[in-house]
Amino acid sequence: MNLLPPKGPEGLHHLAAAYALDALNDEERRSFEAHAPSCETCSHEVEEFRETAAILADAVSVAPRSELKSRVMSEVSRSRQLAPIVPSGVTSIAEQRTRRTGAVMMLAAAAVVVLVIGAAALVGRSGDSDGITDLLAAPDAVVSTLDGEAGSLKVVWSAERDQVAVVGDGLAPTVAGKTYALWFLQEGGVAPAGLFVPDESGTVRAVFDVAEAEAVGFGVSIEPDGGSEQPTGSVLYAAEF
Amino acid sequence: MTEVNPLRRIRVAADRAGQSVGPSSEQDQTSALTSALIGAGRGDEEAFSRVYDLTSPMVHGVVLKVVRDPAMAEEVTQEVYLELWRIAPRFQLDRGSARGWIATMAHRRAVDLVRSEQSRRRRDEREGERADRPFDHVVEDVVDRLDRSKLDRSLARLSETQREAVTLAYYGGKTYREVGVLLDIPEGTAKTRIRDGLIKLRDDFGVST
Repeated sequence: MNLLPPKGPEGLHHLAAAYALDALNDEERRSFEAHAPSCETCSHEVEEFRETAAILADAVSVAPRSELKSRVMSEVSRSRQLAPIVPSGVTSIAEQRTRRTGAVMMLAAAAVVVLVIGAAALVGRSGDSDGITDLLAAPDAVVSTLDGEAGSLKVVWSAERDQVAVVGDGLAPTVAGKTYALWFLQEGGVAPAGLFVPDESGTVRAVFDVAEAEAVGFGVSIEPDGGSEQPTGSVLYAAEF
Repeated sequence: MTEVNPLRRIRVAADRAGQSVGPSSEQDQTSALTSALIGAGRGDEEAFSRVYDLTSPMVHGVVLKVVRDPAMAEEVTQEVYLELWRIAPRFQLDRGSARGWIATMAHRRAVDLVRSEQSRRRRDEREGERADRPFDHVVEDVVDRLDRSKLDRSLARLSETQREAVTLAYYGGKTYREVGVLLDIPEGTAKTRIRDGLIKLRDDFGVST
């Protein structure tokens, strides 16, 4: 019999069900929330358990009094909304002009769409600051900022040079057998841009040679080592230009 | 760089996914809710009104289950919808369905309220009277419904102990540790029963994401 909850990540893995039912105390909830985004198994389980819980919620449906709706709607018309969670700021280096868009790309949904894309030549190479600085100097360089729960990343892309760089710090370490994957978001699908693993301090500076000429944004997910043809793991960021 | 509408693409993707397994009213409703929530996220009040219509019985029902007091349940339901309006722009399809997201918010809010109420009440002498049978009600209420619907058949397929643990945790708003205390079992066992019960329900409902 399991008298004591196991310590460490092993124990956290087994908290997904209790987490999805809000059956953790505040401290456990916080530890689990810190762990789950970088753990594909947990993120996936939480998603499934939440859908299951929604069925439990549905089963006890009781319509509220009709007055409630008018109260809610009149409050709503006076209330502000938050900005989307992953707004992307785009800076065109050549024009020194910043455009702001609030579009949020749903990477997983896009993955449903059949991909009709040329194979990207994925020749990742360890980036150095010179490589990135060079890329930034390209006339058509576009810088996207990806903001998400796991920190902030910048992606520099030049279609002319067929290069993409990803720069960031404070990233969570990946678990064994997993890697971060950068994706081009395209009309009607996604295409792989490169794989990267942050160093011990959580920093990444990588430049990839790519053969993609089209993108409407970038996304980052966690994938098994070696990458995937389309996103399969937790999507950490997704933003359109 | 051309401006594109990512939302349009998501709807297309959702529609295609629906077609591949054949249309059904459940799926129609799911995609109606998803588009309504996406619309609400862009400030469309009419879309939000549809979200309310499609989900308020679920939200109010689960909140009522957890907080148990009708007036308080109504208040929490209102708060849930104001919060939902506020954060609708942050809805992300890749994190699960609209219904799952909304149910999660509603349950979390109800549980947080009950727990803060509980800690207040612990200092209160009334707690003594209530302590005797805080969870019997929950189990009874659910057992009342056991002859209904697919859910009930699924719940009935859980072992007695799993059903008790899942029910106490979700409808009773208890932590697994509290479930352990209430059922007089080690907390590790409570955690395992909740997990095993939920896995069985998940598989029974055919939930996969």
